[in-house]
Amino acid sequence: MINFEEELKKFHPSLEVEEAEEAIYNHDMTDMMDILREVMKESKDRVQ
Amino acid sequence: MKCWNCGADLTAHDFCTSCGAEVKIYKTVICLSNRYYNEGLEKAKVRDLSGAVTCLKQSLKYNKKNIQARNLLGLVYYEMGEIVAALSEWVISKNMQSKKNIVDDYIKAVQSNPAKLEEINQSIKKYNLALVYCKQESIDLAIIQLKKVLLVNPKLIKARQLLALIYLKNEEYSLAAKELKKAEEIDSNNTMTLRYLRELELVRGKKVNVVSEKKENKVTYKVGNDTVIQPKEYKESTGMSTVINIIIGLVLGAALVGYIVLPTKVQMAKNDADKEIKQYSEQVAVKNAAIEDLEASIEGLKVKNKDIQSKLDEYEGDGGALNAYDALLTASNLYMDGKSTEAADAISSIDPEIVNSAKDGFKTMYEKLNGEVMSKAANEFYDIGYSAYANGRYEDAVTNLQKAYAMDATASNALYYTGRSYQKMGDNENAAKVFNEVMEKFPGTKEAANAKTNLESVTASQ
Repeated sequence: MINFEEELKKFHPSLEVEEAEEAIYNHDMTDMMDILREVMKESKDRVQ
Repeated sequence: MKCWNCGADLTAHDFCTSCGAEVKIYKTVICLSNRYYNEGLEKAKVRDLSGAVTCLKQSLKYNKKNIQARNLLGLVYYEMGEIVAALSEWVISKNMQSKKNIVDDYIKAVQSNPAKLEEINQSIKKYNLALVYCKQESIDLAIIQLKKVLLVNPKLIKARQLLALIYLKNEEYSLAAKELKKAEEIDSNNTMTLRYLRELELVRGKKVNVVSEKKENKVTYKVGNDTVIQPKEYKESTGMSTVINIIIGLVLGAALVGYIVLPTKVQMAKNDADKEIKQYSEQVAVKNAAIEDLEASIEGLKVKNKDIQSKLDEYEGDGGALNAYDALLTASNLYMDGKSTEAADAISSIDPEIVNSAKDGFKTMYEKLNGEVMSKAANEFYDIGYSAYANGRYEDAVTNLQKAYAMDATASNALYYTGRSYQKMGDNENAAKVFNEVMEKFPGTKEAANAKTNLESVTASQ
């Protein structure tokens, strides 16, 4: 049986247009490529 | 595929032929990103939007510069009614690849209709408000808000799911089923929608069982070898009951027309009116924007006009440049007519600050005229003053000699005879001051020697 209160916790407020700019700035842009580059750079520095 | 280190085109080797960088893992990551994008695309094609979102997000986690994946993610968000999330992805995409990017068209399409965008934004605000109402247990208000949201933004899945959840709580199962069905049409494989549908099936199944149990109100008995099953309450149909049934049927038919057909027509008329109102609202919004622009430009022009007016006032005012030009011309004319003293008065009225800030031509003319006029006027005032002194009109003498000295600071004789005039008038105090000034400013001159002698005489008489 579904618990209404528990289900309600799964719903979150939607982004409004006024918040779009902030959402873009706070967007986590780190990807695997960044991590890879970092690791390669570190290993290169270690070799030198 | 480009090298992560130097940007050169990569070959089949596991290293970059240009810079020698290791690219095996890099290639794998790019391939994974592309694979997730392909999977997301496949899911989006069969309207598994939430599945597509998961895959595309994964694709971007591997490679944030996968523009196609980001654009598709925005498109999927847009299809789910999440306009702001869609716009965010498109703006990031545009930022990463400013040229030859399809999001230009998407962003333009959204921005070309600001009234619609505002309407959708309002619907998002109403959804958030409905969520707050739910948490405050104001369920009726939440239902009203969610219905309004879905009128404007019918694809907002979250709103449909929330409404279905409320209907499930209120045990309005048919309404919940309707909302979930619509949500399923938009996003066919949404976990939450499927879970609610399953819950709905379970609840309905229980209800059906309860009903069937109730229906087992029957009587079973045997006639010889045959088993007869007969309902507990059984009535033979008669002619009267047939007539009554027909009348009931007619009444029900009329009620059906009254309650279903008419409201539908009224609703259609209302929808048409709403559409017209929307169009007019959009037109009004555009015109309001134009009026605001015009008002802003009027304000700008007013400020500009004020600046120009203040500059003009400065120019034309008492101490203004125009008056200075007038005074210089008057002085010039008077000087040419031989009226040096009047010319000197006119030239003295010019503010030196205006001369400093004036153009070179004005400055040169002022300096030339000032030099000539002042020198000549000083001589004239000296002559008048000395003549008055000689004739015993000492007050006139003081006035004119002072003017002569003011115009020519080298006129020691003018200053000396000013002192003498004071002495003759019996004003020994002023006479002593002037003689001291002569001695101080013109030492070694005849006037200084005479001033010393007269100063002694004045001091003795004091």
